[in-house]
Amino acid sequence: MAQVPLAIVSHKRQVCSLYKRALRNLEAWYDRRDVYRYRAVQLRARFDENCSKDLGEGIRLLACGQRELFETKHFQPRNFANSAGGCAFEREVIPPDWVLDYWHPLEKAQYPEYFAKREQRKKEFVTWWEKQYGKPDPKDLGHH
Amino acid sequence: MSFTQIARSCSRLAATLAPRRVASGILIQSQASRMMHRIAVPSMTSQLSQKFGVRSYSAKSTIEDIKFRVLKVVSAYDKECRGRWQTQLVRRYSAKPPLSLKLINERVLLVLKLYDKIDPSKLNVESHFINDLGLDSLDHVEVIMAMEDEFGFEIPDSDAEKLLKPADIIKYVADKEDVYE
Repeated sequence: MAQVPLAIVSHKRQVCSLYKRALRNLEAWYDRRDVYRYRAVQLRARFDENCSKDLGEGIRLLACGQRELFETKHFQPRNFANSAGGCAFEREVIPPDWVLDYWHPLEKAQYPEYFAKREQRKKEFVTWWEKQYGKPDPKDLGHH
Repeated sequence: MSFTQIARSCSRLAATLAPRRVASGILIQSQASRMMHRIAVPSMTSQLSQKFGVRSYSAKSTIEDIKFRVLKVVSAYDKECRGRWQTQLVRRYSAKPPLSLKLINERVLLVLKLYDKIDPSKLNVESHFINDLGLDSLDHVEVIMAMEDEFGFEIPDSDAEKLLKPADIIKYVADKEDVYE
């Protein structure tokens, strides 16, 4: 849900995704756990009775299932707090590591040991990189 | 309701059922039967499913068997981690319980043991869900959903298809929650 589709997904994975979304949809509709479990067992039986059909029929059923899911979608689905649509989505922003390189020297001077170690680590990383991938091509260096 | 919550209510039930505590029979019995309702619900659905001709997954599905199985797993878990995060004395305002690799391991295995299509005796950290434990891909989806409910974050499909062993799930959760010891 939360990621951009970058490749063609297989039929099996689409069916699994449909099953998961359908279960979450049921969970949104039926908040009593026993009622939800009853509906979930029924849903599982509907999936199981079609599991031995051939691929063409399977594709048609998958399209039917996706349409049915769209038509019965809950108006206010429940989301996890930290995933898209949740109440705490992107509440805590973790700044990337390179931000520390842009601190003012006076700010850096307040943490001398840490920044000394950081510079040391950067040098070690450069040597590791050159050992792993070789020296960079001179025409790739610098800005364009 | 996550499996841990079910497990907590079960352990409370086990505590009320313990013989040293049964002093005033009727009151405790009624409380126990009230709690038993929470456990007996899955078996009720299986009875319904038998009635409507739906496939029943666990080999033995009477209420007694399920009660025995759940209580056994839960009491073993409870004995193992008594007096730890479940009964913490410090109040943590809207913070999660502190996780460690061991705790994640226990919680993952508890969820898997309580899943009725997995045989707890075959289960260990390195057993493959599909090859060793005999689950199919829809069961695997259910396992991943139980893990989402247990740890409270979403696992996208592209990651979920790589989590084929309990060890993978433990590692994934630890990476996500930034736990490393």
